Amino acid sequence: MKNPFEHAPADAAGGNPFAADAPVPQRERISFSGRGTEYFGIWIVNLVLTLLTLGIYSAWAKVRRLQYFYRHTTLGGAAFDYHGDPRAILKGRIIGFMLLLAYNVSFQFSIIAGIAVAVALAAVMPVLLMRSLRFRAHYSSWRGLRFGFDGSTGGAYSVFLKWPVFSVLTLYLLGPMWHQRMKAYQFNHARFGSARFAIDAPVGAYYRIYGAAIAVVLVGMAAIGALLGTLADGNPAVFALAPLLFILLLLFVQPYLSARLQNLVWNHMQLDGHRFESTVSARRLYVIMLTNLIGVVCTLGLFLPFAAIRLARYRLQSVTMLCAGPLDDFIAGQAQDAAATGEEAADLFDVDIAL
Amino acid sequence: MSTSPSDPVTEVAALYFDGRSARAHTVTLGVTDGVLHVAGGEIARREPLAALRVSEPMGDAARLISFADGAHLEVRDHAALARLLAATGHRDAAVVRWAFEPRMVVIMLSALLLSVWLMMQYGLPWAARVSAPRVPDGAMTALSERTLEWLDQALTRPTTLPPARQQALREALSSVASVDGQPIAHTLLFRSGGQLGANAFALPDGTLIVTDELVALAGADAPVLAVLTHELGHVQQRHGVRMLLQGSATALLMTWYLGDISSLLATAPTALVQAGYSRDMEREADDFAVKLLRARGQSPELLAGMLEKLAAAHGEGQASRSGPMGWLSSHPDTAERIARLRSEDFIIH
Ligand SMILES: [Zn+2]
Repeated sequence: MKNPFEHAPADAAGGNPFAADAPVPQRERISFSGRGTEYFGIWIVNLVLTLLTLGIYSAWAKVRRLQYFYRHTTLGGAAFDYHGDPRAILKGRIIGFMLLLAYNVSFQFSIIAGIAVAVALAAVMPVLLMRSLRFRAHYSSWRGLRFGFDGSTGGAYSVFLKWPVFSVLTLYLLGPMWHQRMKAYQFNHARFGSARFAIDAPVGAYYRIYGAAIAVVLVGMAAIGALLGTLADGNPAVFALAPLLFILLLLFVQPYLSARLQNLVWNHMQLDGHRFESTVSARRLYVIMLTNLIGVVCTLGLFLPFAAIRLARYRLQSVTMLCAGPLDDFIAGQAQDAAATGEEAADLFDVDIAL
Repeated sequence: MSTSPSDPVTEVAALYFDGRSARAHTVTLGVTDGVLHVAGGEIARREPLAALRVSEPMGDAARLISFADGAHLEVRDHAALARLLAATGHRDAAVVRWAFEPRMVVIMLSALLLSVWLMMQYGLPWAARVSAPRVPDGAMTALSERTLEWLDQALTRPTTLPPARQQALREALSSVASVDGQPIAHTLLFRSGGQLGANAFALPDGTLIVTDELVALAGADAPVLAVLTHELGHVQQRHGVRMLLQGSATALLMTWYLGDISSLLATAPTALVQAGYSRDMEREADDFAVKLLRARGQSPELLAGMLEKLAAAHGEGQASRSGPMGWLSSHPDTAERIARLRSEDFIIH
């Protein structure tokens, strides 16, 4: 008979995390066991069935995809799990599709109708995003305990409407502050069981990261301008290359931003005294993203599932939990009883918006 | 744990979580007479199989057996669990089994490639053909106005053709532009082509643009009219709208497909698809032009000769300068079309 602990991470320094009298584990690294060849099967079946059902299967596809990633993610010898109901996801997708359609069609009729729909969208979007965060958290679990999110509607309007408007009005000078507020809203209202997450990333750190990224973009754009100016030599057709070079420049900056932001968020996160450590290197992320892109382009997209696995593995395995006490000590929150879950699920749906 | 001879029991190691705390209990589980037994440490549970849910297999990942009260078992001993599940007659959903069967994955991949090919080859052009007549005139006018604005700003300059010559060509085109006695709505505009050189375009709302360079290249009015009847064919059969619909649909699909990686990349294939009319559309437009020319007792040779001149004009070191909108890139296979216009097909009827 196999020992169920043989899959526990080797660097669980505190020894067996499950034994009742085990010493307090110090560092628990997240491990990810997903494999590209395996995920390829799920991806291709999802893709074909989604095409054959004209998109309806995409909700079921999403649940299978997330289950694959969650259940291959292990912390302290136990896997995460995703419980989302595909029918609720389908409901969310239909709502999202209708909103998008209304937005695109209304401008065909008249400017006024278009503005009316845009205003209505701005008014409902924060609530949709909040519900989406709730859905995602509520249907994620680890060791049998659910995550949760209880951010208020007022908070949602603040970070998804007020701050975006502020940052546009100030020509994105307040953009990093908006990002900080958004992460604070997202994590300060998140729970695991009865334990609360808290994030204390200072706004100055966001400004430093975005400042460096913008500096690179500006220098890059100046370099592109100078290069094209020399190459063009009176033939304006060369400027058709500009968008391509600009895309290359953004590909250079994007890994930097996502590496630094992931580290910032997780290094300033707390869960009931437990802390986290994220050590994503911008350079390695850049190599992974660039080779992923080359693979995807050369295989006309068939490399996508492998790319997704490579990226997830690197980003997940860069995170370590610095445990302040035994992981066994977490207990369920009061909202976890079955009746409340059933009731709440009735008006929950997931909207696909990346934050 | 008791065993009965009719129901061979496999014992499986697992972790038990009660759903109220994060504490992991090491247990073993087995099935007897349709009832699951869980035992180990302070845990002892019996539950009928009908009240349990087994998660889908996901490769090496742990499988979860959930109880109705929120407790669950996490099993990583896949071989033992498979024996246990087989003994209880459990069968995983087909869709999930497919994902892990190499043969099914190959079948799915072929199905995908085949359906994408069928869709690009037949599905999208058909859908565009059917829906093009339903695009409201307002949308086509707006689209054409925007395109013309962009052309004037980026590529063309005001014409230097004498107004009298313009008027003559307009009147000549009006007298040609009718099919089965019904006049075709159109507007003829003249522009200096700049880097586009000798060229002619049709916008979806019936606006035809011809460059001074093309008029000069043609020498006489008749060959210019021959090219313009071809462009009228594109308008009449709504080729512009059809290409645009096809392009947008492709862009939508590509965005959805590549959405994970980068929506920036999705624009590249669209640009490729939109680079010009399809070969079939050029044939349709040529047929239409020949029909109009014949109605006036003129020969398809006018169009063929003009195509030859245009190909030569753009070939003379200008190909690299003709840009993305040039005649050659938006009118492929010119040689083939010239041959077709001069072939028996067109001479006999
Ligand atoms: Zn044509």
